[in-house]
Amino acid sequence: MESKKELPKFAVLQLSGCSGCEVSLLNSDEWINNFNLVYMPLVVTSNKIPEDVEVLLVSGGVRTDEDIHNLRKGASRSKKVIAVGTCALSGGVAQIRETHQARDTYLLSSHRLRLPDMLPRAFPIDRFVNVDLYLPGCPPTPELFMTALTEGKNAKIASIVCQECGRQKLQDMRPTSITGMRSGVVLPDICLVNQGYVCVGTSTRGGCGALCTRPGHACVGCRGPANPYLNKEPKFVLDNLRRVFSRMTDIPEEEINEALESPWLSLFLDQFTDYTQDESLPMRTKEKMI
Amino acid sequence: MTTITYPLSRIEGHARVVIDIHDDEVFRADFQAMEMRGFSYYVQGVPAEQITVIVPRICGVCSTAHQVASVKALEDTFGVTPPPLAEEIREVLLLGQLIQNQATSLFIFTMPDRVNASSLFEISDKPGDKERQFSLAQMALRIRKIGTDLISLAGGQFIHPIKTVIGGVTSGIPRQKADVMIKTIDELLPVANEMVDIYWQMSMEMGDRIGSWGDDEPTYYLASTEANNFRLNSKSLRLMSPEGKECQNFDPHEFESYLQIEDSDYSYAGISSFQGQIMRANSLARINLTTSFGTPMADNYLKRFVETFGRPAHAIMFFDLCRGIELVYALEKARLLLEDDLEHGETEVAYTLRDGVGYGLVEAPRGPLIHHYEVENGLIKNADFIIPTVHNMLAIRRALMVVAKRYVSADGISSELGRAVGRVVRAFDPCIACATK
Repeated sequence: MESKKELPKFAVLQLSGCSGCEVSLLNSDEWINNFNLVYMPLVVTSNKIPEDVEVLLVSGGVRTDEDIHNLRKGASRSKKVIAVGTCALSGGVAQIRETHQARDTYLLSSHRLRLPDMLPRAFPIDRFVNVDLYLPGCPPTPELFMTALTEGKNAKIASIVCQECGRQKLQDMRPTSITGMRSGVVLPDICLVNQGYVCVGTSTRGGCGALCTRPGHACVGCRGPANPYLNKEPKFVLDNLRRVFSRMTDIPEEEINEALESPWLSLFLDQFTDYTQDESLPMRTKEKMI
Repeated sequence: MTTITYPLSRIEGHARVVIDIHDDEVFRADFQAMEMRGFSYYVQGVPAEQITVIVPRICGVCSTAHQVASVKALEDTFGVTPPPLAEEIREVLLLGQLIQNQATSLFIFTMPDRVNASSLFEISDKPGDKERQFSLAQMALRIRKIGTDLISLAGGQFIHPIKTVIGGVTSGIPRQKADVMIKTIDELLPVANEMVDIYWQMSMEMGDRIGSWGDDEPTYYLASTEANNFRLNSKSLRLMSPEGKECQNFDPHEFESYLQIEDSDYSYAGISSFQGQIMRANSLARINLTTSFGTPMADNYLKRFVETFGRPAHAIMFFDLCRGIELVYALEKARLLLEDDLEHGETEVAYTLRDGVGYGLVEAPRGPLIHHYEVENGLIKNADFIIPTVHNMLAIRRALMVVAKRYVSADGISSELGRAVGRVVRAFDPCIACATK
């Protein structure tokens, strides 16, 4: 521990989010020996980000005017910026049901004297600062945090969740409706799609260790679309999912379409939607993705 | 008029304390939550069954409590009763969360205050201190990790867990994994005891140094654990009067008759009260309302606490000591439950979607949490989240007034005020993400 002060400076800036990314980071303690943590209000009393930070992790979306200020200031003092979690990548769960009505009601009730102003929506951080590396996940696992911090762009990541799931896809088990979660039973070792779940692991970026699907919960896609669907409209990943369901099940097309348009999937599958419609935004290439 | 702003660290989320002083007199001390999450707006119109995946994202620190409360609210709506095995696994899950949370609050958030350090990871320059601090940090993280591992075991994911589903849990806990966990708990329970004793000692010394444990008037206390059964997967709420009498006992669906909840103009968090009266939830409320834990070590600590400080105890810094007692209980209890067969037997039952209204209650680390949903045409029409931190908002504000008055005088503003503000807020372990749902 003697040389702690010479280790590279490491800072964690939390914008508007749930702290889940920070809690996940705390569950990996390996970084304690590799970095000198200089800023992370959740665990250290420190009111500002110092100069010459080697790595700045940013979690949470940009939701208040104060978030913009802190983000720009932090990035200007850091050599490398890593965006972590769904909120930093897309604005996050606040974007769910982004209807005018919800937004209006929300904004009407979200104004206070002497407090930061809420922005009309939650923004991803690369709207405001340059991002060197993206670490999607809600939250990313402690192992993925370490991969991002140590291997960076050289990391090898499983292409889709199925690669790490271990459940077997069966030819002859074809559900006719999406009622998996109502059935009261999850068969071990068999693919959740075969059991009538809307599992999107087939099109979702891997690296999470299939934490959800192995104990029996459908993948909701929190790691975002796999490499072939990056920087593309959501239609492409949805089309791929449609193909998976028509190949593996006898569920009517309308039922599949309705299920795939659901909010819990759009929350994660649309993480990159902004980046397909606005050419002024930075390309999120697969080389920058963990 | 002078306004002093204290940004806060070592708590969950973005908050600060703003104190207004005029002519050496404190006339306002506000605890401000600085962002608004807005979940109750955004979940309107979401298919009901999907809300159990969305609402844990209210808070990464309390995601377990939100997930279980959410599932229970839908089970109430759909009229489903999960099998006993699922209830037991959910209890293991909630105990894991209590361990993780209390270890975080005790060792990462508040222990540095006891030695005037900026963090658990700050290594002192004094020879002799260095080794001790390093070993404390290591012990703290190892104890905390038991909580994380229990959540993973019983919940699948350790943040935003997924195994609890409408009708039960997706799978049991294999014997072999339970045995590994038991072995770890056996190894670390004495370490946890030692850490709690160290913390207790540090707190006594701090109390002597400051000359106060946080003087404040008595309040009402709210918890949903039972006097002799500290079940976190709870069923009803209890309220204790400032004099120590259990004065109300109510079901979650009656909450509106007992708890008044409103917005505040100085913070993005709401405030709640018992018919206008200040309440406190969280560890001290539970300890005041607990007669026996039913596990030997925790009961010893409880006895020591009650004999030393009385019942009900009111000083603000007692919240922290009570977290230590609960940490020991949760480790003991989790160990007991893991001895049961949690692998074989029915873990979930089928259900059918139906419209209606439902309430889901759990005792979260910060107090009773209620999710209340109205389902129409299979969609969430209204969702209401009754958040434990909100129950403490009036109490935090009053406690801040007490410290501000203590450290502001005709001689000026004491430099101790900043530290005192941090200690008081951290004693309540507020969760800002939750409080602004």
